[in-house]
Amino acid sequence: MADDSPSRRRCGLHEDVVATVIGLAIVALALVVTWSARPADSPGIREKWPKGWPTPLSQTIDKPQTWSDSPLTAFRDKKGNPLAVPIVLGGAWVVAVAVAGAALSGRSVALMLRGAIALALLAGTAYLLAAQKVIHFYNLEYPLWALMIGILVGNVVGMPAWLEKSLAGEFLIKTGLVVFGAEVLFSRLLELGLPGLLTSWVVTPIVLVTTYWCGVHLLKIPSKSLCMVISADMSVCGVSAAIATGAACRAKKEELSLAIGLSLFFTVIMMVAMPPLIGWMGLDPIVGGAWIGGTIDATGAVVAAGESLGKEAGEVAATVKMIQNSMIGIIAFAVAVYWAGWVERADGPREGGLLAEAWRRFPRFILGFVAASIACSWLFSSSPEGALWVDGTTTGFTSRLRGWLFCAGFICMGLQTNFRELAPSLASGRPLVLYIGGQLLNLVLSLAMASLTFGWLFRKAVEP
Amino acid sequence: MTTFALVRLALVAAAIGIVWGVALPAVQRMAVVERHVAAMELRGVNPAAMVYTELDRLPVRPGWVEDRVILWPYFWP
Repeated sequence: MADDSPSRRRCGLHEDVVATVIGLAIVALALVVTWSARPADSPGIREKWPKGWPTPLSQTIDKPQTWSDSPLTAFRDKKGNPLAVPIVLGGAWVVAVAVAGAALSGRSVALMLRGAIALALLAGTAYLLAAQKVIHFYNLEYPLWALMIGILVGNVVGMPAWLEKSLAGEFLIKTGLVVFGAEVLFSRLLELGLPGLLTSWVVTPIVLVTTYWCGVHLLKIPSKSLCMVISADMSVCGVSAAIATGAACRAKKEELSLAIGLSLFFTVIMMVAMPPLIGWMGLDPIVGGAWIGGTIDATGAVVAAGESLGKEAGEVAATVKMIQNSMIGIIAFAVAVYWAGWVERADGPREGGLLAEAWRRFPRFILGFVAASIACSWLFSSSPEGALWVDGTTTGFTSRLRGWLFCAGFICMGLQTNFRELAPSLASGRPLVLYIGGQLLNLVLSLAMASLTFGWLFRKAVEP
Repeated sequence: MTTFALVRLALVAAAIGIVWGVALPAVQRMAVVERHVAAMELRGVNPAAMVYTELDRLPVRPGWVEDRVILWPYFWP
């Protein structure tokens, strides 16, 4: 029987290969353009370029800015300059990536063009909803609103047939993940020395593995991929970790939606509750900041909570979370290998040895993600200029494009989400128990490790 | 698209318009929310950042940390 799956159509390339090729081409293009416009004045001085070299590509992509009463103000930056053109171009990048993907994978370009324009419009709407100040400053990130819009259109309004045929959510997320690799820099892992390494590399994997094991063996949640996605978003860094590990273990759309919903809900609670708790416990700002950085899922919420405790705690919290951000590549790769070599191999028919079987099932785009990460990590650590080159490329362009691709991907996920499939798990409440249990373990272990490393073992005896 | 689907679309759009256009601005005027939003804006914090590259300021190791914590102990290679 011919394989007519979205992954392989006609004689086109496999979806994973196309996502890798397009993602790496985008990263390479962004690096070349940023290099060609590098500043002549002090190109290696961080104080001069705190967010890296400015890149001309930043003019080609943006998203709606925060707004209070009138959404029209979302189309102007803080200085009042119009942003409508780069916002529209942001949507155009989504269309360009989707159409290029369709062309390379042998799908109908005309059909994809129409669907991608609709997706880009819906993604822009999700960004606009997420930019309302209450939503924005309480960390209810755009994936939630993209999912909501998709679910509303798919289940309440009804999805047009032409849109259904042109959905490319998995492809957009895979391409976004390859582009995301440029932001996952191994060099960042050493930013807080051995205490930072111990806090991230000891606690995070222990919590991830323990939570997953408890979900599968103690709570007996039927879906292993649901356990993995919940464990990863809770222990590593929220939505971004959920997306990466969800793709690595081929989690269902409904499972990823549920994990993201849980993560965002508890992130808001922890962002508000942890600073007063730390103040009440009388913790040192470094220990408190490291605890916040190691436990709250989302990066922005970590900074918000840390800054509520003071500048010092905010700086430490942000740096610890950045170290955790940098672990996503390694964790996604490890999950992909484990899934391909053990979980799927145990559940499905066996053909050949372990390595051959693992390679056959391995999601290839993860290699593109890791390749982008290794290349940019090497460039980043090669020289001060290299660091500013990579930072400028990622902050000015690739992170924005990755956001648009994820946003459009989440719209597709919402459109295709069928919560009836998750009904048994939801009704049992076990995913919620798993998240709360794992987060409690994370809180206890992170506090213990932060106190041990930052508060005692590596603390300097005489303070200035 | 059928008339029924258009009606449902209009209802969904109206509901979103009411929540985002009326309810959320009203919530924002509550004292506790107003304080939180003002504090975040004053400090230049972007709580909606998914990854560190989306923050208004890139995190770098603060200089004062080395005065208080031994980052690389003598036994570390």
